[in-house]
Amino acid sequence: MKLELENVGKRYGGKLWALRNFSLAIGPGVLGLLGPNGAGKTTLMNVVATITRASEGCVKWNGTDVRRRPDALRSLLGYLPQDFGVYPHLNAVEFLEYLAAVKGLDAASSRRRIQELLVLLNLADVRKRPLGQYSGGMRQRVGIAQALLNDPQLLIVDEPTAGLDPEERVRFRNLLAELSGDRIVILSTHIVSDVEATATDIVLIHQGALVAHAAPEELLAKAEGKVWECVVPSAALEATKKSYTISGTIRRSDGIHVRLVAEADSAPAAARPAAPTLEDAYLYHLACLRAGRAA
Amino acid sequence: MNSLRVLYQMMRADFLERARRNSFLFTLGFAALMAYEASTGGIVLQLGGYRGVYNSAWIGGMMTLVSTSFLTLAGFYIVKNSVQRDETTRVGRVLATTPMSKPFYATAKTLSNFAVLAAMLAVLAAGGIALELLRGRQGQFAIGQLLAPFVWVGLPAMAVVAALAVLFEMLPVLRSGAGNVIYFFLWGGILGSGISSPRFDDLMGLNLIGQDMMHALKQVAPGYKGSFSLTIAGMHSPTKTFIWNGVDWTSGVILHRLIWVALAAVLTLLAALAFHRFDPAREPRRKKSDKPALSGMEGQAGGFASLPATAVKLTAPVASASGEGLARMVAAEFVLMLKGQRWWWLAGTVGMIAASLLVPNEPVREGFTLAAWLWPVLLWAQMGAREARHNTESLIFSARRSLYRQLPAVWMAGVLVALAVGAGMGVHLLLRGDWRELPAWVAGIVFVPALALVFGVWSGTSKPFEVLYTIWWYVGPLHHMRGLDFTGMAPAANSAWYYLLATAALLAACYLGRRRKMGYA
Repeated sequence: MKLELENVGKRYGGKLWALRNFSLAIGPGVLGLLGPNGAGKTTLMNVVATITRASEGCVKWNGTDVRRRPDALRSLLGYLPQDFGVYPHLNAVEFLEYLAAVKGLDAASSRRRIQELLVLLNLADVRKRPLGQYSGGMRQRVGIAQALLNDPQLLIVDEPTAGLDPEERVRFRNLLAELSGDRIVILSTHIVSDVEATATDIVLIHQGALVAHAAPEELLAKAEGKVWECVVPSAALEATKKSYTISGTIRRSDGIHVRLVAEADSAPAAARPAAPTLEDAYLYHLACLRAGRAA
Repeated sequence: MNSLRVLYQMMRADFLERARRNSFLFTLGFAALMAYEASTGGIVLQLGGYRGVYNSAWIGGMMTLVSTSFLTLAGFYIVKNSVQRDETTRVGRVLATTPMSKPFYATAKTLSNFAVLAAMLAVLAAGGIALELLRGRQGQFAIGQLLAPFVWVGLPAMAVVAALAVLFEMLPVLRSGAGNVIYFFLWGGILGSGISSPRFDDLMGLNLIGQDMMHALKQVAPGYKGSFSLTIAGMHSPTKTFIWNGVDWTSGVILHRLIWVALAAVLTLLAALAFHRFDPAREPRRKKSDKPALSGMEGQAGGFASLPATAVKLTAPVASASGEGLARMVAAEFVLMLKGQRWWWLAGTVGMIAASLLVPNEPVREGFTLAAWLWPVLLWAQMGAREARHNTESLIFSARRSLYRQLPAVWMAGVLVALAVGAGMGVHLLLRGDWRELPAWVAGIVFVPALALVFGVWSGTSKPFEVLYTIWWYVGPLHHMRGLDFTGMAPAANSAWYYLLATAALLAACYLGRRRKMGYA
């Protein structure tokens, strides 16, 4: 099972390149996509999910060019878009049965699977309610259910925990980790802790280009010795923010405990080194990119 | 002063949002097309065999009547979306948190609608000036005479249409597709009453300008019988001319025209009364019986965090056989079309089937049969547009063979709806053994859903089909116009092959439209 992207580029409106020279090869596991807003994450997922055609380059699924044979991938694809809608007058069962039909699944097996998915996602008790009455979190769970309908080998989830409460988020992470054993999962999110908990590989995207593809441990290793903690008075916080990349602040009685990312020679004199988290590593890489130097 | 500035800014932002869309160019293009048609004889104003000499007054009067007759219909549908846009873009919810009052919002929307309609009117006025310069110059060029009817007749009519569009958008039933159908008949009523009503009480100025023209013609042509028509693609172009020097714009005439502006203000205030300030609890789709949205942790449904983590063991899905898959897809689309229909719609459908089958009186039965062709218009109008409206495109387009399975299934579901609602007529024809009318009826059954689908796929909205189909139904089947009657009910209608071929062409266009949208086939 292999997904390959070879020099993929996507141009909008003839001029704006949302993605450029993007090459990547991945196998089973969870690939976390990280990048600032507008980096090209959703464009990348739309291209891989066959929603939009790449302007250049090719996407290959097990060696087959998806541009030529999109259905080869579609039958094995589960996709949860960042922004999707539902038919408000249908209930969860009807909506999932409808999508099972669209995906070309057999009636009997998909009916059983829908019931199981509704139980798994704890929607069984509200399965007969019109989707128009669902909360954002419940609707998101219906979205997760539809993505799993066809037991996908490639599961693409774009901001899947948006709208979920913290407990639901944890549960979804666990579900994703369990699902990832024998399939490729591409997870895009702004919540770095979601990636930290599940990803076996991480891709950093910036301005439509791939800037890093590594295991979380490698990214963390690069940020080693670049994360610091110090206490600053409230009045000095603004100045600190201007000088450093801040990854967190906590207000305490002795002042504000600041966690920041900086090279050793430019860190504040009173700062103590701290063990980097993936979020620190991500911020460090972004800071390097913006400063135009290698991480 | 500050209020005026706020009002101006709201109107300006709304107008710019529309004017910067490509569709605005089409809107102006439509106005330019009308101006072109009027100037080249595609739209003809004639009184018996007469037309006016192309002087400033005649060109201004003619172009104004063309504007008010057609823009009051097309313009309404063009501008009836500004409140909906605030809802879909969620800008409305931001506006709702500001101190903006309801009358302010309604007034800004009316003014913005008016600005769009006035821009279209300006294109037609410019067309009038061009016509006079290029073709006319029969007399002195009097810009005042040319523009006066636009100002005193056209603009007040546009103000009323602008306000009506806002009112329709604010009222629960009228804002939907049903409102689009209802407005067509309202427009027909206004047009009819304008022709027959006393001199100053017609919105479109047909009576005001028409009577004046007729009076002038009677002075020079005693044989003139008083006919007056504004027709598209006039078969018999008038050959004789007379001189008309325009309406005498006295203060009394102008005051009467300003009554329409006052009416527009009243309609805007009525719209303000109905405005719900984007309160989600009063969203239009919500039925009275609907309960409020459930949160993830409410009721019996907990968040899925409350479940213990268990290994994921799910039934392995199986791909369906191709024939069975399509049948399932058609059934699913059929259910989707009927979902959310109220009981009275279903009761009406049953009533129509029974009436068109059982009523012995031929004209009454024919009336029910005709009504059955209009009854499902809102269902058909959703075809091809539903995915865009509910934002499910990415879910459906990423499915395997959705172009070859889901799209045909939508059309077939539309045909099933047509068959179900028109079953009375079909059974009646079968029992009667009418082998001449039956093929035409079948052709209509497959043609109308294909027409709906092509409009839905290419426009992404239901409105174009709702409007065009209602007009077509009115002109073709209701008035038994040969060639345009797709129901097969027109005497000597022999258009089955024509409609079957058109169906094939429309389905090909649907395929191309969806393929273009998907990026992939």
